[in-house]
Amino acid sequence: MIITEISKGDVAIIAFNGTLDASSAPELRKNRALNDPLQTVVVDLQKLDFIDSSGLGAIVGVARLKDDRRFGILLSCMNDRVRKVFEITNAQKLFHIFDDTKAAVEYGATRQSTCK
Amino acid sequence: MKTLLAIREQDYAWTREAFPSIHPLLLPLCNKPFIEFLIDFAILTKSTAIRLLSDGQLSAVEAWCGNGSRWGIPVSYGSLHDEDCMNTLIDKNRRFCEKERVMVISGFNFIRYDKRQDYAGMANALPDGDWANCSGGAITLAGSPQHPEGRAPEAPPVLSLIPLDTMASYFTTSMETLETGADHYVLPGYGGEPGCAIGRNVVISKSVEIKKPVSIGNNVQLQSGSVIGPSTIIGSNVIIDRASSVSSSIILDNTYLGEHLEVNGRIASGNLLTEPLSGVSIAMEDPHLLSGISQNSPLRSLPRKIVHALAAALLLMLLCIPYLLLWPPLRLTGRWKSKALECLSSSGKQNLTLNIIELTPSGGTLSALAGALSLDRFAMLFRVMAGQLSLIGSTPAEAASNTPDLRAGKPLYRPGVFSYAEAEEWPTSGSERAIVERFHLAHSTALQDVTLTLKAFFNRLHEKSTS
Repeated sequence: MIITEISKGDVAIIAFNGTLDASSAPELRKNRALNDPLQTVVVDLQKLDFIDSSGLGAIVGVARLKDDRRFGILLSCMNDRVRKVFEITNAQKLFHIFDDTKAAVEYGATRQSTCK
Repeated sequence: MKTLLAIREQDYAWTREAFPSIHPLLLPLCNKPFIEFLIDFAILTKSTAIRLLSDGQLSAVEAWCGNGSRWGIPVSYGSLHDEDCMNTLIDKNRRFCEKERVMVISGFNFIRYDKRQDYAGMANALPDGDWANCSGGAITLAGSPQHPEGRAPEAPPVLSLIPLDTMASYFTTSMETLETGADHYVLPGYGGEPGCAIGRNVVISKSVEIKKPVSIGNNVQLQSGSVIGPSTIIGSNVIIDRASSVSSSIILDNTYLGEHLEVNGRIASGNLLTEPLSGVSIAMEDPHLLSGISQNSPLRSLPRKIVHALAAALLLMLLCIPYLLLWPPLRLTGRWKSKALECLSSSGKQNLTLNIIELTPSGGTLSALAGALSLDRFAMLFRVMAGQLSLIGSTPAEAASNTPDLRAGKPLYRPGVFSYAEAEEWPTSGSERAIVERFHLAHSTALQDVTLTLKAFFNRLHEKSTS
């Protein structure tokens, strides 16, 4: 899986490209922005083809690190296959899910500033 | 214009108890699922796409509605959070909404409309804000009018919302829809004359009397001497046995009503008979009076049960010698304690009593060894061979726990000797455990189950031997 990262103001955008499974999940634990509890991250899932329970566990695991409600992980551009995995496991309740990355970035930035 | 349907779990929470086997959005009103009325209304307003948003499970609705090709309108699905306001909803679906005007229908409400009237002109001409509202939600327009020069019809079309928040409101709305009939709504069934709609494959014996208005679903048998109506809705896959009369009542799908019975002003669903105004219901134990007609074939789960039973037999053979050696000394020294736990079964109907073994943590080497070899689960393996438990599945849920989804007999609960969370080394408590368990319950095959069982077994071996 290829992980690309860019920053927009205080918000980091991380895009996944490929498959998020047991072999690629450990890469998430190495990512600085995902593991920083004081960083809002938008995860762009547009090019994520497949996710399994290990990948899901990795995303839920990094989301748990962000215990301050100003920061968090926002998901964007989920395809139908990935959305169904989140829905069937009820993991969707843990995340704010957007269909547009720009809207997610704006939401994340607003949340940071209004909750201060 | 595009339509967002935003329906929160808390809006329809009451239906989980009242109609446990039906997804609330597929709850039939006059034999038509609730969600289809909303889709019809969106089509009447000339919406070009619909997105259904919920914080609950939508898989059953998605299986029913698909991509909307049945209606000729794209239907997609998304999620929302309970606290999301209107602007957040539109932001979360910005790509869907684009720059078009959006109609947001929120809440679990029935829309009272008339299919013969022009809603498209009104929806395009009205300013931003609520078009109609009630205590349970609203129809809200957002974005600038697409045809501001266009004029709204001089006489505003019929439009109001009825909150479906109790059994009584469901009953009265169903009856109102039946009375109004096909004049206002698109309703299923063939109707040779107004006030009478009959579905496919309906067997009506010669001496049956039908009094209008009635709506009868598909695959229904009305046996001789029965009297149906007036004001009666019979769902699909229903049998009304000899000489029974049903009036001012709703018989929901998959129900058998016995002989020589009189049902008046009630809702029957499976073996549950409810008085709609008070909401009081009674479950009939005698299947000759009222019972559910099961559509699930028990054979479907047979291959998995066979594989699990074979693997359980193998584990029993492997563990029987360590069990026979370790159990007596642990039992005699009080380090092997068992307690009975009432758990929900996978059908959600009957409870299972499981003997949960607790090994004293400070019990020394023997206790640690028994734990590492999962001997505390040894007796439960016999339950797998009897088909009462899976070898691997969900962590057994206490019958007393507040788990409405499980009570509703959802397919994503199958108690097992080992849990998928143990196989994946996920937290074995809390809501996160449920995430991984649901994932595997939905995706894993019988053979993958065997691999995951071994993983869970070795994880426990590793965990207990290192601790």
